[in-house]
Amino acid sequence: MADPWQEAMDHAVEVARKAGKIIRDALQNEVKIMCKSSSVDLVTKTDQRVEKLIIESVKGRFPKHSFIGEESVAAGQPCILTDNPTWIVDPVDGTTNFVHGFPFVAVSIGFAVNKELEFGVVYSCLEDKMYTGRKGKGAFCDGEKLSVSDQTDIRKTIIISELGSHRDPETVSKVFSTMQKILCIPVHGIRGSGTAATNMCLVASGAVEAFFEIGIHCWDVAAGAVIVQEAGGVLLDVDGGPFDLMSRRMVSANNKTIADRIIKEIEIFPAERDDVPAKK
Amino acid sequence: MTSMESDKCWAECMDVAVEIARKAGQMVQEAVKQEKRVSSKSTPTDLVTEADQQVEELIISTLRERYPTHRFIGEESSAAGEKCVLTDSPTWIIDPIDGTCNFVHSFPMVAVSIGFAVMKELEFGVIYHCFDGTLYTARKGHGAFCNGVRLQVSKEKDVSRALILTEIGAKRDPATLNIFLENMKKLLSAPAHGVRIIGSSTLALCHIASGAAEAYYQYGLHCWDIAAAAVIIREAGGCVIDTSGGPLDLMSRRVVAAGSREMADYVVRQLQPISYERDDHQPIVQS
Repeated sequence: MADPWQEAMDHAVEVARKAGKIIRDALQNEVKIMCKSSSVDLVTKTDQRVEKLIIESVKGRFPKHSFIGEESVAAGQPCILTDNPTWIVDPVDGTTNFVHGFPFVAVSIGFAVNKELEFGVVYSCLEDKMYTGRKGKGAFCDGEKLSVSDQTDIRKTIIISELGSHRDPETVSKVFSTMQKILCIPVHGIRGSGTAATNMCLVASGAVEAFFEIGIHCWDVAAGAVIVQEAGGVLLDVDGGPFDLMSRRMVSANNKTIADRIIKEIEIFPAERDDVPAKK
Repeated sequence: MTSMESDKCWAECMDVAVEIARKAGQMVQEAVKQEKRVSSKSTPTDLVTEADQQVEELIISTLRERYPTHRFIGEESSAAGEKCVLTDSPTWIIDPIDGTCNFVHSFPMVAVSIGFAVMKELEFGVIYHCFDGTLYTARKGHGAFCNGVRLQVSKEKDVSRALILTEIGAKRDPATLNIFLENMKKLLSAPAHGVRIIGSSTLALCHIASGAAEAYYQYGLHCWDIAAAAVIIREAGGCVIDTSGGPLDLMSRRVVAAGSREMADYVVRQLQPISYERDDHQPIVQS
């Protein structure tokens, strides 16, 4: 039976590449930074331009589909996932990296139908690496099949832990406390690329065993979620429950053993859900 | 040797360094696909593999044949008991696989680093990114380059617009980790744009040279991690100093590097020190 979403996925790959080129070209020029929720939550014209490109391109081809995009939501669009085929887009994941020219910047395009994630495309545009995952059909990077690490010994793992854009002392304290507990297990090391989508691809490729974060948005992880799972990995909430796309928090890991061990150390702090209605 | 003759000689040495770095990089690329035999050195997280040893052997034997009077400081030779002392002689300072932990995990940030000093002055540096083939080079007085494109540091002086890089180091006892995390927290809360750990000090230092990040600091790295990158950063317009704010001490196991002196000084002021045994420590002789 033909895949009903193959065409959509092919389109996602095509538009992700186009978007990636815009991002690379934009790096040649000086980047004007604006701030969103705080002085470290950055956005640029490129974020907005790329999201516009993706949405218009998809609307042209699939006029009945819905969108959740980082910049559209920032501009006041609701962030509600319905049963309708929905594109969940982060036009520039790793805006801070982009602003600095630090090499991890990704275009992240997830796709859900009946609230189920169907495929994910993450284009790491400075590395020119195209990651894809289609439910039931595996995950790939530039055509090569991806497989998570088979490590079950927590002391031989690399864990990705991002510091995020929280700077209030209480949250920062919890983030660092978690990091300390994990380092003391001990693990081989802790890393952070600065982009959630890329981090999830690193889990999927087996380069690291786990990535967790509180504070991510649905558009940061929708694509990566499919890629990790199709590479054989697991996704959970930071409290050990099932992964909730709108909850602003996530653990992705090569297997449940590692995920559970990490979850034991995570100090949870609150983060407002993505699907909270905007206050009028 | 006249200064013109030595200049020509070091230029030739650098060309040889580039050639051998590429060959070594290829060896690393092959080795990363094979099963790895991993052991540990000073702590359970201070990893070493057969590939580290083989790659260093390749580099040193090739260079020794070409330059029999030169001296060598290599990570694995030092681990095997060779003295790690810098003399006035032309000396090659080599990290065959920087980012061994990354290498073991096939995490794509691994480099070959070849530095060169004469009269205890760093003359040139070559760093080769084994996974994507990026080549960073610099010769004193002749600029720094990445794949032939001139490198320029970020001149940002304001930490609230800075991306900062660091590495953890081999010591993982709770007291050390406490200080390590406090240092990181202090800088993050400046508030800096971010603090990142990529697992390879030489590649992270190259990001300072390219302007992709504003500052790097670390306790626990070795002379072979700093030697090449120091030249590359300085030739790209940046500064490389001691964590106390004084001049770089290559054997001290610590460094601050930044695009601007103001940024370096700011970072220095935030840091609490973590002590590691010097690279040039003299082993205690039992009588």
